[in-house]
Amino acid sequence: MEREVERYRRPTRVLHWVNVGAFTVLFLTGLVLFIPPLGFLAQDGWTRLLHRIAAVLFILAPLIYVLLNWKASLSGIKDAFVWGAEDIGWLIAAPRYYFLCDEESMPPQEHMNTGQKMWWLMVIVFGIVFVITGLIMWLFKETASAALLQGMVLLHDIAFIATGSMFFVHIYLSVIHPLMRPLRTGAWSSMARGKVSAHYAKSHHAKWYDRISKGEEVKSG
Amino acid sequence: MTEKSILFDSTKCIACRACQVACKQWNGLRGEETNNRGSYENPPDLSPQTWIKMRFIETGKQGVPGWTFLRQACMHCTDAACVRVCPNGSLYHHPLGFVAYNKDTCTGCGYCIDACPFHVPRSTRNILTGIAKMDKCTLCTTQGLDRIAEGWEPACVKTCPPYALKFGDRDPLKAEGTKRVQALKSQGYANAYLYGERELNGLHVLYVLDNSPGVYGLPVDPQVPATVTAWKGIIQPLGWVLGGLTIVGLGLNYMVARQAKIARDLQAEKEK
Repeated sequence: MEREVERYRRPTRVLHWVNVGAFTVLFLTGLVLFIPPLGFLAQDGWTRLLHRIAAVLFILAPLIYVLLNWKASLSGIKDAFVWGAEDIGWLIAAPRYYFLCDEESMPPQEHMNTGQKMWWLMVIVFGIVFVITGLIMWLFKETASAALLQGMVLLHDIAFIATGSMFFVHIYLSVIHPLMRPLRTGAWSSMARGKVSAHYAKSHHAKWYDRISKGEEVKSG
Repeated sequence: MTEKSILFDSTKCIACRACQVACKQWNGLRGEETNNRGSYENPPDLSPQTWIKMRFIETGKQGVPGWTFLRQACMHCTDAACVRVCPNGSLYHHPLGFVAYNKDTCTGCGYCIDACPFHVPRSTRNILTGIAKMDKCTLCTTQGLDRIAEGWEPACVKTCPPYALKFGDRDPLKAEGTKRVQALKSQGYANAYLYGERELNGLHVLYVLDNSPGVYGLPVDPQVPATVTAWKGIIQPLGWVLGGLTIVGLGLNYMVARQAKIARDLQAEKEK
């Protein structure tokens, strides 16, 4: 069997899948208020109850993760904010790569490529926006001023539009795009089993692969 | 259909609050237990059980007593913020012009409560679960209790002893209100005003006031909040477009990339 390298540790994968579940429920129970023809599904407010149960998971899961893995969390969050010349290279190569499946055109990438980094940054920023605006609407619905509550709805909506659209892109690029098939090669295997083939690591995340094969501190997120 | 309205003449109102009772009676709303706060104004505020309420305003100056009364209930706006923000059309414009709603389909989101310039809609809300239902004046068009469909007046109008409330076609009532305001002006009420003639493109409850609206605690120039316009008019449609374009774009990408991948795989086969 081909040699494999660890890409995501178990706690990271558990956090990912808990948030997948929570976000999917939050997304769908929010969508029913966003698209008028679906509005009848929100009747009597039962979707709001589901939304809150999922929200509790969505808030608690990352908090527990950060408390138990604060070192990995700190460096992971830092990664989202470090941008350099290679990110420009990714942006230039991306159309050729994703439309023409030209894998040679892509400059070597770190543990997270630029696209993943953009999504990760959105998750952090809009995740915080979601939680703050959501908690205000939940807990202060009857005490906060009307103007504040309306502002919160507006911000919650903007975060929803941004992350909701990119949610499709994320799923598509991880498991549907022709380059991500068969599933055992890349993204799916890294999040499902935590491991990817050494060949995949070398061809898709060369800078990261170089670091771990030189025996530097293994950072697998 | 000819738009209908209620005309309320504050100068004829004796604040007997019979309208409050008639509303509760007809719509099956229970009375609320309240405390004596030293005012005839009771209950203190609108609620899911109180759709109409008289406001008592003391306007006395320099030893001359003054006491005016204002009807507080849904104003049935033409440009109704509540209808705009309602996510599933539970709030809607009745063919006769006023703002009706379907309580069965209400999601309890409470957006209407925050959007209304008159702070009229109220809800019962479980703060933990968020389960809620909105209530407000339906102008007696609640299903099964629809007085208007029967050709009757709303309960509050029917009961009003001094005829301070009238119900009918909007245009004749508007003319009557204008005439009444002119009469008040000629009697020395310089600030007399017909509220609802133009506000929010016309309210379906017109108020004859003997003073400026601010004195009565009414918003002088009520508006649909700017956040509502930005949210419903710009952000949300933009979201539909963005979400739709994303899905279409990904579909196109799949078609192009799949062909490219097949071509590349064939090429690699050949080179082997």
